[in-house]
Amino acid sequence: MTTKSALAISTVANISTTRRELIKNMSLGTGALTLGVALPGCSTLIGNTIRDDGSWEANGWLTIGSDDQVVFTLDRVEMGQGTYTGLTTLIAEELDIAPSDISVVFAPANKQYRNPDYGIQITGGSNSLSSSWVPLREIGAAAKQMLLMAASEVFQLPLDQFVASEGRVVHQGSGKSLRYGGLASIAAKQDVPNEVGLKKPSDFKYIGKQNQRLDSHLKVSGKANFGIDSQQKDMLYAIIVRAPYIGASVSSYNGDEVSALAGVTHVLEVSHGIAIVAQSYWKARKAQEKLIVTWLRNEEAPISTSQIFEQYKQHAIEDSGNVVRDDGDVDEVFEGSSSVLEVEYELPFLAHATMEPMNCVAHVQSDRADIWTSTQGPDLAQVAVAKVTDLSLNEVFIHNQFIGGGFGRRLSQDFVGEAAEISYQTGQVIKLVWSREDDTRNDLYRPASYHKMRAVVDSKTGKAKAWDHQIVCPKIMDWYVWDAAPATFPWAPKFMYSMLGHAGLLTEGSPMTPADTSPYEGAQGLPYNIPSVRVRHTKSDAGVPVSYWRSVGHSHNAFVTECFIDELATELGKDGYLYRRELLSNSPRMLAVLDAAAEKAGWGTQTKDGVYQGIAAHESFGSYVAQVVELKLDGNEIEVLRVVSAIDCGTVVNPDVVNMQMESCVIFGLTAALYGEITIADGRVEQSNFHDYQMLRMNQTPSIETVFIESVEAPSGVGEPGLPPLAPAMAGALFSATGKRHRRLPFDVS
Amino acid sequence: MEFRLNGAPVTLDVDEDTPLLWVIRDEIGLTGTKFGCGKGLCGACTVHLNGQAIRSCITPVSVIAGQSITTIEGLADGDVLHPVQTSWIENNVPQCGYCQSGQLMSASALLAKNAQPSDEDIDMAMSGNICRCGTYPRIRKAIKQAASQIAQASDLAYEIKV
Repeated sequence: MTTKSALAISTVANISTTRRELIKNMSLGTGALTLGVALPGCSTLIGNTIRDDGSWEANGWLTIGSDDQVVFTLDRVEMGQGTYTGLTTLIAEELDIAPSDISVVFAPANKQYRNPDYGIQITGGSNSLSSSWVPLREIGAAAKQMLLMAASEVFQLPLDQFVASEGRVVHQGSGKSLRYGGLASIAAKQDVPNEVGLKKPSDFKYIGKQNQRLDSHLKVSGKANFGIDSQQKDMLYAIIVRAPYIGASVSSYNGDEVSALAGVTHVLEVSHGIAIVAQSYWKARKAQEKLIVTWLRNEEAPISTSQIFEQYKQHAIEDSGNVVRDDGDVDEVFEGSSSVLEVEYELPFLAHATMEPMNCVAHVQSDRADIWTSTQGPDLAQVAVAKVTDLSLNEVFIHNQFIGGGFGRRLSQDFVGEAAEISYQTGQVIKLVWSREDDTRNDLYRPASYHKMRAVVDSKTGKAKAWDHQIVCPKIMDWYVWDAAPATFPWAPKFMYSMLGHAGLLTEGSPMTPADTSPYEGAQGLPYNIPSVRVRHTKSDAGVPVSYWRSVGHSHNAFVTECFIDELATELGKDGYLYRRELLSNSPRMLAVLDAAAEKAGWGTQTKDGVYQGIAAHESFGSYVAQVVELKLDGNEIEVLRVVSAIDCGTVVNPDVVNMQMESCVIFGLTAALYGEITIADGRVEQSNFHDYQMLRMNQTPSIETVFIESVEAPSGVGEPGLPPLAPAMAGALFSATGKRHRRLPFDVS
Repeated sequence: MEFRLNGAPVTLDVDEDTPLLWVIRDEIGLTGTKFGCGKGLCGACTVHLNGQAIRSCITPVSVIAGQSITTIEGLADGDVLHPVQTSWIENNVPQCGYCQSGQLMSASALLAKNAQPSDEDIDMAMSGNICRCGTYPRIRKAIKQAASQIAQASDLAYEIKV
């Protein structure tokens, strides 16, 4: 077992760089050194690689000014997950400057900032650090090299006599030195080096050691500017009164009466309801009380949660599903067996419930639109604006801000389109702010899902022979493609947007468009050695808007696969931890986290009365996490006392950020497991605010401990992988406590 | 109407039923105080009314006439951060940071009346503040650290005085 509570990185050889041609000197004679980098695209939602037409806009990644200001344009958004600190640390390491000496600005929408794994400029999928790991260090190294070359030119001494340190270039013989700022204008005239070496891990000064977040000071002093804090001159305030029924539209409303109210400037019908624009937010909300709208219900809209699950179950019977994994011969094993274990699992719709409600300031003019907001997808926001105005994408300017919680919610740009539509129609600068009730009832939810599990266990050999997992749920891409496809092809005229969306859906799973794995991710990659495994997805979409929610498909599939493994262990009379160990010989990284969590938690040694343990492990976003949960029951209440996590996320760049994300995932996962459920009745979402869509609070927070696995692998995700194993580990503990299987979330022990 | 905000007098002409939150954010332009739920359920809008933590989203501005309000912008003493702000930074408390103004205002009000809060005291004072990022364990730790810093500082002040 290789566990260490602190990070240790062993020495690996210099990483040779192959992307030199992709770094560009963009200094443009401004006296500052400015470098940009193009990241090669691996895949896109629709296209293949980034289309670089060779034109470079003057907004690079890194600028060193003659005033010593080092500015890093953060191409990923900061929504709590720590990119502000983590990505800045990568640049700082190679540039030899303290991370805190770098100023960070948020990137506008621009194709050079696209996420190389997706081909659109989104922050999601826990890949910010992994996709930036090499390119950002290279850019820091290239800048440093150019500063060294500049110093060599200034002093007319050989390059190899200079070293960089703490924002200065030092001549080793004489000790003379120059500030980076003083060298910037000369460095800007150097050619970008053809090759730069990257530091060996043993030489890292900040990576693996930088433990202080760079955005804390702003965030404890009320100075961090979130989208909702944006203020513009002559700004009016807008709200939208939305249909209480999913999919309903406006039939009639008393607009004249409401327009006449004091402080109200406009009342107008927009795509998602009736907009009220007023001189203040409060005047708009008060006017809402006088607004009477007759809604036209959509006959095809979903009626109730129970009806949706009935539909799922019906589709499960009618359509055996798209097989995404088929090992061995599942049919033969099931046919020849008399002892088949067959169970069902159900998981609910979930809202994101970010603390910052959706909001957007929009100023749409005849030749440009300016948008101030908090978004996980600036280029998708451009599409949302273009769709409701006469503007093309390059006339839409996104001024992104700190994000008061994303969790996938702000990958969708509905709120941006709404604000643009109101600004366009009224000709005013407006700030749209959603109420908490708007937010809870008009989210794009984590899809509800239904799972049929079957297995054949052989008690004679003590082994499972076959595993069949049928997942029934919608596809997120069906909802997401409409903004994503046009953002992938920014040159496409607007009349093609809908065609691009359809093309994306038609070609899904082909080389044109990667498959939407969201329904079955986390189920397809089952790591356990079972000879016959089948995983299949039956698509069933009930018309409830859905989107990406922290850990996406893993959030439901890990619950099902890990609970079912526990059930098999029980069938075979084995301990859940030891049974997993038996089946993990092909997954050493998973085995290592499992062992580490079990050891740290003292698996099986818990002796306190009424306290029960459960264990689960899951891989997502390239990282492996195992968790042991300890809980007790107090009547109908579940009290979680302790959660021990072990994570292998490759090289750890900022140990405390990893700790933070694990704590965050545990609390997010606990909230969902204990309370999370959006239900629909009579065509309406029943929940509205934090009293009926509850969040975990301070007094319910367990003790949370995290163990790191030592690794020299490239960094992988940390923002989501701590969430999936939590609920199934709780389910295991609840089985021990009650003797009953809990196969639906949220848990109900009454 | 008039009241004091972060030590300075404020005179305003607003509808009396306007919640204090929107007066602070939209009329005065101090945006550190956040809107979260509008129902007093999440604590993001917490400010001090004469030193007591209150939810500004459900407090009509009329009820605070003539009284003293402190927001996150007024928590520090000039450039000198309040001990809770310092310990928040040292413990890497904020993630997205949106709820933290409210958390800090609740925590500082707690420490003002209870210099050495127990875990139960912290639970009582802080459970009205929701953090969706899950920073609770660090908040607890940071409050305890701030408490001991305040205690040390007052011991020191006592020694200097003596």
